[in-house]
Amino acid sequence: MREEQRLSPEAHSYLDGESAGGIGPEDRGAAQRFEQAIQAYASSLKRPDAAVDRAVMAAVRADARHARRQSVWRWLVSPHLFNVRPALVAAAAVALIVFGRVLIDVPGPGDRSPGAEAAAQTTILVRFELRAPDAHRVTLAGSFNEWSPDGVELARNAATGLWTATVPLKPGEHEYLFIIDGSQWIPDPNAHAQVDDGFGQANSVIVVGPRGVVRS
Amino acid sequence: MFEMGSQSDAVLVRRILAGQVDLYQVLVERYRAEFGRYATAMLGGDVDDAADALQEAFIRAYRSLASCREPEKFKAWLFRIVSNQCHNARRSRRDHVPLDRIEDPPDDSTQRQLEANEIGRTIQTALDDLTAEQREAFVLKHIEGYSYADMSTLLEVGEDALKMRVHRARDELQRRLEGLQ
Repeated sequence: MREEQRLSPEAHSYLDGESAGGIGPEDRGAAQRFEQAIQAYASSLKRPDAAVDRAVMAAVRADARHARRQSVWRWLVSPHLFNVRPALVAAAAVALIVFGRVLIDVPGPGDRSPGAEAAAQTTILVRFELRAPDAHRVTLAGSFNEWSPDGVELARNAATGLWTATVPLKPGEHEYLFIIDGSQWIPDPNAHAQVDDGFGQANSVIVVGPRGVVRS
Repeated sequence: MFEMGSQSDAVLVRRILAGQVDLYQVLVERYRAEFGRYATAMLGGDVDDAADALQEAFIRAYRSLASCREPEKFKAWLFRIVSNQCHNARRSRRDHVPLDRIEDPPDDSTQRQLEANEIGRTIQTALDDLTAEQREAFVLKHIEGYSYADMSTLLEVGEDALKMRVHRARDELQRRLEGLQ
């Protein structure tokens, strides 16, 4: 390589954005010609268009459907251990009887009876708790708030380190996680059920009946 | 309703892992724009090859998203996947770079157009002849406009080493460009 075909150290510094004053006119000219040639080349390059997004998301959604089916199947065929308190069993039995009645009275698509509307509008106040004495902020995200990380803020009891929030939930099964200090997503250590989210992590599950929490 | 596009990578990754897979589209749009020209430059100016490489990289990244231990560093994590995919795509290309795919620059002078095309081809050929590390560093610096600090974060390589790669790449390109005169 001939020496004059290299850019001088001053020209390199100029192109690195490090110097503007100490460079001579010849080096500055060489650096600027180089820069212009590269910029012209760069502006001729195309970026891949949105067809990439569509193809990627089609594959992602197909994967997610497959993972969901696998997850449900794994849950159904694997054994589960539950710690059950007698009082909860009694409450669950009552709730199941009530829920069973609701199921028996399942409204059709066009059913506008007052009972059906009341059932659809029922919300149950559910108290969420997490002991995290070192946390500065705890929020709750779940299927009931579109997994918004700022949706529900828990209040802290400074003396006990217990964070709590009471949330109105509709009857049904809800998945949720706590978020500590905006970055650490953790399942509820007191939840009786955790489900695989299909990606190797666990979501906590709460089941709410029309008259209260069936399982938490 | 909050704006998904303003969500940080880390929040989006966690929400995707929590089951909101449709949010992955936000990350795909974000980084197709950011790494698009990088992929095209790395693949000889061929935007179709770049689209294939990015598509494959995004799907691979989604399938191993749970292994992204530090969602705050999702961009660097994704870039490694995109970079590897581009390197693999280069290796698997059988034919020489289709230089005629380089776009004609907007210019009303035919003579100047010819000169610009010649310069573009020369730069692309020179880029293809660089080492993989020099090519990557040069493209990030001069095509995508990254600072050395951002490149260092992205590649996890020291700024001095990156400068050396860029300087060597520049000298080689300058030698080729001087040869045109």
